Amino acid sequence: MHRAKIASPPSHKKTVTVALIGNPNCGKSTVFNQLTGLRQKVGNFPGVTVDKKVGTLSLSDGTAIQLVDFPGTYSLYPTSQDERVVLNILANPQDALYPDVVLYVADSTHLEKHLLLFTQIKDLGFPSLLALNMADEARKENIVYDTAALKKSLDVPVVSISARDGENFPQLKQALLSLLQQPTATSRLFYQFSEKEKSVATAIQKYLNLKNPYQALLVAQNAGRLPFLNQQQRDKIQNAVQENEFNRLNKQVREVMQRYDTFTPILKKSVQRTTGSKRSLTEKIDDIVTHRFYGPLIFFGLMVLVFQAIYAWSSFPMDLIDAGFRNLNEWVKSVLPAAWYTDLLTDGIIAGLGGILIFIPQIAILFLLIALLEEVGYMARAVFMFDNVMQKFGLNGRSIVALVSGAACAIPAVMSTRTISNWKERLISIMVTPFISCSARIPVYTVLIGFVVPASITWGIFNAQGLAFMGLYLLGIIAALVSAYILKRLLKSEERSFLMLELPAYRMPVFRNVLLTVWEKVKTFTIEAGRIILIVSIILWVLASYGPSNKMELAENQAIELAQESNLDESTTADLIAAKKIEASFAGHLGKFIEPAIRPLGFDWKIGIALITSFAAREVFVGTMATIYSIGSAEDEGSIRDRMAREKNPLTGKPTYDFATSLSLLIFYVFAMMCMSTLAIVKRETNSWKWPIIQFVFMTALAYFGSLLVYQLFS
Amino acid sequence: MAHTLDQLEVGKKGIITEFADEQAGCQLMTMGILPGSEVKVIRKAPMGGAIYLKTDHQQFAIRNTEAECIVLK
Repeated sequence: MHRAKIASPPSHKKTVTVALIGNPNCGKSTVFNQLTGLRQKVGNFPGVTVDKKVGTLSLSDGTAIQLVDFPGTYSLYPTSQDERVVLNILANPQDALYPDVVLYVADSTHLEKHLLLFTQIKDLGFPSLLALNMADEARKENIVYDTAALKKSLDVPVVSISARDGENFPQLKQALLSLLQQPTATSRLFYQFSEKEKSVATAIQKYLNLKNPYQALLVAQNAGRLPFLNQQQRDKIQNAVQENEFNRLNKQVREVMQRYDTFTPILKKSVQRTTGSKRSLTEKIDDIVTHRFYGPLIFFGLMVLVFQAIYAWSSFPMDLIDAGFRNLNEWVKSVLPAAWYTDLLTDGIIAGLGGILIFIPQIAILFLLIALLEEVGYMARAVFMFDNVMQKFGLNGRSIVALVSGAACAIPAVMSTRTISNWKERLISIMVTPFISCSARIPVYTVLIGFVVPASITWGIFNAQGLAFMGLYLLGIIAALVSAYILKRLLKSEERSFLMLELPAYRMPVFRNVLLTVWEKVKTFTIEAGRIILIVSIILWVLASYGPSNKMELAENQAIELAQESNLDESTTADLIAAKKIEASFAGHLGKFIEPAIRPLGFDWKIGIALITSFAAREVFVGTMATIYSIGSAEDEGSIRDRMAREKNPLTGKPTYDFATSLSLLIFYVFAMMCMSTLAIVKRETNSWKWPIIQFVFMTALAYFGSLLVYQLFS
Repeated sequence: MAHTLDQLEVGKKGIITEFADEQAGCQLMTMGILPGSEVKVIRKAPMGGAIYLKTDHQQFAIRNTEAECIVLK
């Protein structure tokens, strides 16, 4: 089967595909953002969870360009899923994203390290344009280029740019236009094939009908992992490889050496560097920031600041959103007639939407700060400092970003694990991140903590409730680390784990990049998580609003009779009806059905209802409690707590929310996997139902037995 | 005498002669850490396990296990 064919020339296409390629830290995203602005779409590369950014721009002659931002990679020898995507597309002329030309971005302050991939791209035969980025930095460091000499010896148009401030971007676009008008790719190869390589390449070129010999060689090298090949093709390639005694790793080392040998002399001739032996500012900053003692101290200080900022800055917009949705709800109720669809719209859909949007301020602030730390170059230092500790728990230094983000919301945190190249380490990070107490647990903790620790106790400046709060967070962290350790022992992996991390020079952040990252994360959260929360909110609304046969009506009539007997006012009557109705609803029946199972944890059927409804999202607990205790109209945490404090156990006459039950419930909420959206994201990121199911069962079991232990000990 | 990068003390330099492990070596090479490069150990990670090093004009972090593959002269 001959699937591969030669790509059609650009002139036959409506839009031209330009690939943006370069090493990590070359400033590629800054170039992308500078060229496309908000005209960009974020998605996934087909079949894998690697961010795919595609933007559009048009050139002066009206040519429409589809600019694809490929993940940063050092070479076409992929080590992570991100890097593999680059090879998968560039080795397959059939791919929808196969570029017509390549815009290669290199850091001009480290050109000697950024040309390896460039020579590979050139050898693949792509018409290319070399953008020497960070020209401003190069000037500061007294690095002088002879661009004409570079252009001649590398056989490529060269433009010196600074993406940070858009320097020379008109020239860059002009050069791109000239390249598109005359897409010339030379046949000259930077890499000289050995005899064996030649025969392997020729065989594969013929078999797959590939135009370029280096493409054929890359196919030979990676045949087993290229998704566009079928088993028959793989076997055939494998045969060609074996016939010619082609040694993959050996070839790779030889190739890399040879490539450096070809371009190093070129750079020696055309680049002048007059930097002295003076230590750079970056090194001086790192003396403190990665210091044995101050380093970790600064990290924890920064994290405390981040959380302070999240809580301090988000409370105002969150109150606004909350009030906004409540007003909208009341307005809709006043305009539409009282009917089931009004209830569905208000209590189901609008309440569900409000529940999603309320988290946006916290997520936006967290990602603003994390993106800033990332842009400046700090995150790489954090990874360096904590890699060893993380390793002991089967995690990777890079997991620290996920664990920190998890304190805001597990959804973006799980997504942030994509940079971990080792699958086992990435999987463990995904599995344990939801143990970190996210912002949705805060309302639950706030309501319950008063029943465990009285507000009056203080030790000096420390408030006992504040310490208890911290204790709950700590418990989540311990659970995450212990489970990570268990998973490390259970999961087998042949894949080797590497750190090998570039520590980029500290730079002033580019705010355009930071803001675009925040925008993109917030959008992903709203769409990905929002969809599921909305669906589950509607299902839960149905469960709580409808009951078997005519029991709901019966309950309502009973409530009205009761209200008339005891002369209740209008709002108390409405609350009483709501409480009686939820008891008679499917949710109420479910609560009663699971009561025997949760009795040993100290929970009654009312708490059971709250557990079921807050399965969608933990914070729903508070709203459900309000409805069950018939104070639905007063939805603030203080009044719910007061009402819960008065609740008595009908059998013993003692308060329901005593120390043991409340603590047990708190423990349950620390451990339990009560977030549909996280499960959905985990399913997407691991590409199977297996891991989210294991995660759900494991976390719920831990919650159950943890609560059981606590309740049996203290009751 | 041949020794490996993990044995180098903080502040000391060495020149890479070869890589004891091809896979790790190849990956280091793609990042610009090559035979013939001079490497300097700037510091060790606060909790051990990794090394902060400098070659040419660039800083890197690698694990001790990866440093064991780097043979110096």
